[in-house]
Amino acid sequence: MPAPNTLRRKSQAALREAGIGVALAGLVAVFALLSPIFLTPSNLTNIFTQISINVILAVGMTFVILIGGIDLSVGSVMAFCAVVAGTVLKLETLDTASAIGLALLAGMAVGALCGLVNGAVSAFWGIPSFIVTLGMLNIARGAALQWTQARSLYEFPDAFNNFGSATLLGVPAIFLVALSLVALGWLVLNRTVFGRLIYAIGNNEEAVRLAGHNVMGYKIVAFVICGAAVGVGAVIYMTRLTIASPISGIGFELNAIAAVIIGGTSLSGGRGSIVGTLLGACIIGVLANGLILIGMSDFLRQMVTGFVIILAVVLDVYRARLTRSAA
Amino acid sequence: MNAPVATAAALELQGLTRRYPGVLALDGVDLTLQRGEVHALAGENGAGKSSLIKILCGADRADGGQMRLFGAAYAPHSPLDAIRAGIRVVHQELHMLDELSVAENLLFEQLPRTRLGLLDRRAMDRRARELLALVGLDDLAPATRVATLGMAQRQLIEIAKALSSQSRIVIMDEPTATLTPRETDRLLALIRQLRDGGVTVVFVSHHLQELFEVCDRVTVLRNGRKVATQAMAATSTDELVRLMVGRDLAARAPRPAAAAPAGAPALRVQGLRFAGQRGQAAINFSLHRGEIVGLAGLVGSGRTETVRALFGADPLAAGQIYRDERPVRITRPQDALAQGICLVTENRKDEGLILDMPIRANISLASLGAVSRSGWMRAQAEAEAAQQMVAQLQIRLASIQQPVRQLSGGNQQKVVLGKWLLRQPQVLLLDEPTRGVDVGAKAEIHALLERMAAQGLAVLVVSSDLRELMGLCDRLLVMSRGVLVGEVARAQFDEAAILSMAYQEYTRSAGAPSAQAA
Repeated sequence: MPAPNTLRRKSQAALREAGIGVALAGLVAVFALLSPIFLTPSNLTNIFTQISINVILAVGMTFVILIGGIDLSVGSVMAFCAVVAGTVLKLETLDTASAIGLALLAGMAVGALCGLVNGAVSAFWGIPSFIVTLGMLNIARGAALQWTQARSLYEFPDAFNNFGSATLLGVPAIFLVALSLVALGWLVLNRTVFGRLIYAIGNNEEAVRLAGHNVMGYKIVAFVICGAAVGVGAVIYMTRLTIASPISGIGFELNAIAAVIIGGTSLSGGRGSIVGTLLGACIIGVLANGLILIGMSDFLRQMVTGFVIILAVVLDVYRARLTRSAA
Repeated sequence: MNAPVATAAALELQGLTRRYPGVLALDGVDLTLQRGEVHALAGENGAGKSSLIKILCGADRADGGQMRLFGAAYAPHSPLDAIRAGIRVVHQELHMLDELSVAENLLFEQLPRTRLGLLDRRAMDRRARELLALVGLDDLAPATRVATLGMAQRQLIEIAKALSSQSRIVIMDEPTATLTPRETDRLLALIRQLRDGGVTVVFVSHHLQELFEVCDRVTVLRNGRKVATQAMAATSTDELVRLMVGRDLAARAPRPAAAAPAGAPALRVQGLRFAGQRGQAAINFSLHRGEIVGLAGLVGSGRTETVRALFGADPLAAGQIYRDERPVRITRPQDALAQGICLVTENRKDEGLILDMPIRANISLASLGAVSRSGWMRAQAEAEAAQQMVAQLQIRLASIQQPVRQLSGGNQQKVVLGKWLLRQPQVLLLDEPTRGVDVGAKAEIHALLERMAAQGLAVLVVSSDLRELMGLCDRLLVMSRGVLVGEVARAQFDEAAILSMAYQEYTRSAGAPSAQAA
């Protein structure tokens, strides 16, 4: 057996992240050259604000995609979480602080519950999560509309609404929330038994089962985590918009999936990282912002984003092939 | 050299060789098939029959040697090439389109069309009825969905499909495995009919009796080499078995006889039946600490199903398992692990390893509780555990961070063993632990098992390599067609006798009562 090049192997995940980081840096450099405002502090703050929600959703989505699943219900569930959280927020009997706390908990609980249903149905009956979450996409949207009779909720406490535009040393508070979820997700995936099994299940479910682990349970938990993250995202989104709308979040799941995929996580599961997801969300955000600044039309921007998603997956396939043939 | 000869044989193989990493599957095989003969291919598991068939039907390519088909050079690059050349295989595993009709399955490769290019249903129906009549399925409607049919009917349809193209050579790989005696008789009659029509048939079956009923000549393979080609009329069952086994017994020094097992068995199995088991007989045996017991038999005789049921990998249909004479219920791998029972599965790539994850993570996979604290991984503890197994099993690697994929077969298997040994099992079940493993690693794995047994581990090994089992085991259990036909103590080990036990349920004429051997 030839001596394998371990150094290269060992840092393969790091290399993948570095590659995405380089792509992001390249994009930033190009836009900095093309637009004088791109690198100004206020524009950077803008980008961070814009990508925060997607980062939060994508962190949850990473868990689901790592086990080889997908969650298409994220946008609708987010609207459902928002209207429930908004209702709690407006309860007159609560003081402001506890209303905000309970609203956050309620949002996360609703999201986690939807995730539980998604995960349990797909794991227990072996139904592809694509289909189950497609059903949930409709169920949660309907539930959100039913809950408020299609009305939006507003007039939330000022302390709540102000959070959406607050900054700390120029960094938006909501981006700090997103970053702390990234950190939490990283810790769980890289430092816990649960995280180890998430990767293992995505790679070879049967081997994990035969090693004596409750595969079905772990898969369900991945969906619950995704749902809870959606709950957080819903509340954070409300602080920005200052309303809770049952028609919000349409298509958000696709942005989250795109961030995960551009971030190098394999759609078939088992390979990828949270850091990659963060970088993927940044690439999408920088593209959207930069293309506006250089004056590209809405329609063309959408096309460019589409191309980038396909390009990212094509590059991923190439990398996988190179890895296999080298082995 | 390429000029076809008028009297050329149907197929002529010269020095056919196929090398897999660490194994010579075919070693310079010469073989001549005459036109219109039924030629049997016999040999133990792993003798090279499957490799040979794969090359003939274009699914694999030889590393050396030549093939001539009716005098012309033949080197198929794909199964389609083989079909075009008139070579057709009826596979052991059925490849059918379940949701389509019988007719569509039969004529899949050459669906009749009308002048407009549309599917000609009437022609399809007519052609399908003709083919079904050939295999005696006259009363089966061509529009029946295949999913509704039983295994035997599917097998016959597969055979009819082989007849649908202008096949000059039909290869049948264990075609009678799922058939009842009556269906088997019909198939054998069909084979004779084909032969009389000038088609060459290659027939592979564990049922030696069938070979004598229908074949003209037989070629015996052993360890990838051709041992003999004989006229069927000039040989006997005993001689075939002897040829398949070979005379050069016991290449490897047998291990010293173990002390007679003392005390209660570590594992006892009473009345076990696994899902899908043939026949009525249940499986009973016991396994003591410090003992290495082999489970011998042909592929498909129920060895894998037995050990998988013991581990809870597949559900048990009936029976009771005792651990140290305590009755235990095993429905999931978790239950078996809690009882100190581990299983090295047959297929390490699909079931044993996570190929793209590091060696470290593979070794710790079944012991995550021991290398974590309140759910948090202890990287240091994990690395130490992995290093300990690497040292104990002498796994050759560059770093425990390497993905397992990069290791050789033998070292991969050692990683699987390391995963279980880290749990310090009391009963270790192994299914084909040395398949695809090079000679050196094989010897190391044997030595390891002997060492572990000496320390009190109870070991049950399934292997298709009878000589391996005879060298390694204190005792052999022999399975034949889902029946545990007997038990042989080390002092009575005799390859030919054990092999005839393994064939026992296959050679016996159907319907005869089962006799208990040994």
